[in-house]
Amino acid sequence: MAMDELTREFLIESQEGLDRMERCLTELEERPKDADLIGEIFRAVHTIKGTTGFLGFTRLEKLAHSGENLLGMLREGKVVADRPIITGLLELLDGLRSILKSIETVESEGEGADAGLIGRLEELQKSPQAKAPEPSETRKLAVAGATVVAKPRRGAKASAPAAARPSPRIPATPPPATQTEEPAVAPASAPTLVSAPEPEHTIVPSKSPGCGTAVESTLRVDVTLLNRMMNLVGELVLTRNQVLQATAADPNMTLLSRRLDMVTADLRESVMKARMQPVSNIFSKMPRIVRDLSQSLGRRVRLQLVGQDTELDKSLLEAIKDPLTHAVRNSLDHGIEPPEVREAAGKDPEGTLQLRASHEGSHVVIEVSDDGAGIAVEKVRQKAIERGVITPERAAHLAERELLQLIFLPGFSTAAAVTNVSGRGVGMDVVRTNVERIGGKVEIDSRPGKGTTLRLRIPLTLAIIPALIVRTVQQSFALPQGALSELVHIPPEQAAKAIEWIEGSPLYRLRGKLLPLVFLDRLLMPGIEHRATTERDNFIAVLNADGRQFGLVVDGLADPEEIVVKPLSAVLKSIGLYSGATVLGNADLALILDPGAIALRAGVTMSAENEAEHAEEGETDAGLPVNPEYLLVEMAGRQAAVPLKDVLRIEQLPFSRIEYIGYRPVLNFEGQLLPIEDAGGILTAAQGESLSSDPNVVVVVCREGSRQVGIAVSHVLDVAAGSDLFEAGSSQRAGGVTLLKQRVTGVVDLGGVEPLPMVELAAEEAVEAVR
Amino acid sequence: MSQVQSEGKRPKKAKATLVEMCSVRLGQGMFAVPIKHILEIVGSARPQPVPLAPSFVGGLVHYRGDVLTTVSMRQLLGMPPREGPQDILVLESAGGCFGLLVDSVCEVLTVSSEDYEPNPSILDERRRALFAGAYKLKDSLLIMLDPERLDPMRLGEAPAA
Repeated sequence: MAMDELTREFLIESQEGLDRMERCLTELEERPKDADLIGEIFRAVHTIKGTTGFLGFTRLEKLAHSGENLLGMLREGKVVADRPIITGLLELLDGLRSILKSIETVESEGEGADAGLIGRLEELQKSPQAKAPEPSETRKLAVAGATVVAKPRRGAKASAPAAARPSPRIPATPPPATQTEEPAVAPASAPTLVSAPEPEHTIVPSKSPGCGTAVESTLRVDVTLLNRMMNLVGELVLTRNQVLQATAADPNMTLLSRRLDMVTADLRESVMKARMQPVSNIFSKMPRIVRDLSQSLGRRVRLQLVGQDTELDKSLLEAIKDPLTHAVRNSLDHGIEPPEVREAAGKDPEGTLQLRASHEGSHVVIEVSDDGAGIAVEKVRQKAIERGVITPERAAHLAERELLQLIFLPGFSTAAAVTNVSGRGVGMDVVRTNVERIGGKVEIDSRPGKGTTLRLRIPLTLAIIPALIVRTVQQSFALPQGALSELVHIPPEQAAKAIEWIEGSPLYRLRGKLLPLVFLDRLLMPGIEHRATTERDNFIAVLNADGRQFGLVVDGLADPEEIVVKPLSAVLKSIGLYSGATVLGNADLALILDPGAIALRAGVTMSAENEAEHAEEGETDAGLPVNPEYLLVEMAGRQAAVPLKDVLRIEQLPFSRIEYIGYRPVLNFEGQLLPIEDAGGILTAAQGESLSSDPNVVVVVCREGSRQVGIAVSHVLDVAAGSDLFEAGSSQRAGGVTLLKQRVTGVVDLGGVEPLPMVELAAEEAVEAVR
Repeated sequence: MSQVQSEGKRPKKAKATLVEMCSVRLGQGMFAVPIKHILEIVGSARPQPVPLAPSFVGGLVHYRGDVLTTVSMRQLLGMPPREGPQDILVLESAGGCFGLLVDSVCEVLTVSSEDYEPNPSILDERRRALFAGAYKLKDSLLIMLDPERLDPMRLGEAPAA
């Protein structure tokens, strides 16, 4: 029998109410006299009580009733919300939640003894002040405690109506936003930070929960319906890809198919948006967890939540809930030290735990950082040897960063004692597998004594990913772009020399470093004869998976495509090499390769050298002076350097694509003009040649301020780090030159590229397009 | 829908039930799947092979927005693979949908439960595991296939054929 509409509505509303209550409770601990907060909590419980009576859930009604009595006294100021009361109310919250859960799953309140809890709640009403004479004093003396400091959520109001979950948390509660001014965090004087909510953030005083404009403009939608829509949009994307390919040659269809393309893209974006939810949905669970844990562990922790309105696909949000909770538990248990230890180390006895969400390209990055003890690398090394994870010889060679990665291995824990919070060694590997399952990545950074940062990189959406289509054994496979760092082509005649072997293991020298190679055809079809490398084209896709770098050798490359990931049946999933399948633009099916699994299957391990290099890069990230990298190019026989950070892409195109405005060479990219700097006279030379043939020219497209410019070059040679040169005598840094590969090399002055004539100028200047 | 023999002639059991079957051909053999298990019949498909998959997997096909794993009946029976397109029965089982690759789909027959007999003991173990008995037709036997037994999940658990 299906749950009736009324009960379902009640469940959803009650759960939202309880979520609000939970947030308010943790805040109430900071501001025990805040009437708004008490009112909010009271309303949540009252609403449940009122509706349950109507629906006939007596157990729920009784429990809610006793809670309401206590809250009523709080509201009238007869008792003060001290710690026992808050603990009692949190218990009430858990009690109500478990009954609601039971109603949701088995449609009855279930059997359970609430008498104890009700008794405790009544006890709290009677002589509360006798128990805690000066609540705020006790708090200060207490070792444990959690303070919630949420950075103001700018735009939280604006973004919420667009969010999929129509629950209008917005007008109902002021977000747990207590803005702290950082300097005010005086170590000793302020164990708890209490500041009035910023007026801006409490635009709607929490008077009327659940009624406001947001309610009228939003709508509850079943998630399965959204999933179905997403699936259909995925289908539409596939069909569009096929239409685009089929009509590419027909000029009459171009306009239509371009329009289809646009509409599909828009539709896809809207549906994806509908599935987006702010991370505050899971962040808001954290204050409670931090409060409970810090109390049971005897820590003092201030929780900061940053970037709460960052949005993420609902299914992904669900998927990272557990890893994130785990990471927070870990930080509290292993990271932040007990207050006395912190004080002895000269730190603020109150530790800081920050959860920060932000966008980074097509990823959302969620950081869990604490200012605790950090991870003792030596301890990790010892533990690893003890557990037999690595041999002592190998451990001695591992770089710090690689040692840190070891904590992601199953069965690894450095906690001296096993607590009930963490330390059983089933932690970080779960975090890693969960995050990697959804195509994300986990990184860890730790400084002993300074703290640890765990970074979860989560793709924005699961369903559609960019991928490179590769071909081998006469089949197409999709390779997720996320893992791909570069492609190397080795034509058959060079293969014998370029691919080297150590005892049957193929290797390739990638910029002087040996890169292990995996032949996809041999991996997928073992036991049969394959064409030798010298008889076919070899494309090496350089992949990075789980800290392993290797080259996957395929026979051919097709275009990159945005693919819609379709799940595989369990039988095919258990092969382990494929993460899904997809339908390509040409209606072919392609299996999606899982780079991590391929590395594992082929026995590629983390290369210590490589990791060391990464560690170096990590160092430089931390702000040490770095040598900037340059793209080394050749211009008419002379070498020059272009700062790599400014390089957007390298174009190779026929000279006929270059057009001229007056004497200025430009490139026309679908209506966007790119001025080209021809300092080396390469275009001039090509122009002479172009009378007889159409030579190719290479243009390095760079970013210069807000504009883009192209630099015509003869060849691109390499990428290298440059070092500064100093003028003899004065020791002044020389501008415009750098030392690249032991040679003094001029740096191309991008700022010196003449801007294109602007509109007003263009009017004066006759634009003369000469081919 | 052709009505086949067995009506009226032997009214010894009054509650003989009629079942609709879709008959399929594999090489020389005739097999049948109860129609109620069939979601759809996809004609002349060319499944995409999956390297390293268990041998009974006939490949993948695109089916209504999803990617469907197919089971090659020929492989299961130890018959040589067939060149050219094959027909697919989209079947529903406890583990979800899957496709059954057969040479061709023939017709829908109505058979009576009276004519049913379980697997004869002479069959080898592998075939006994695959077949679900047979119906005696006038001039031939119709071998029953049970989607539950052909589910790739189940086949995957069993020791590989």
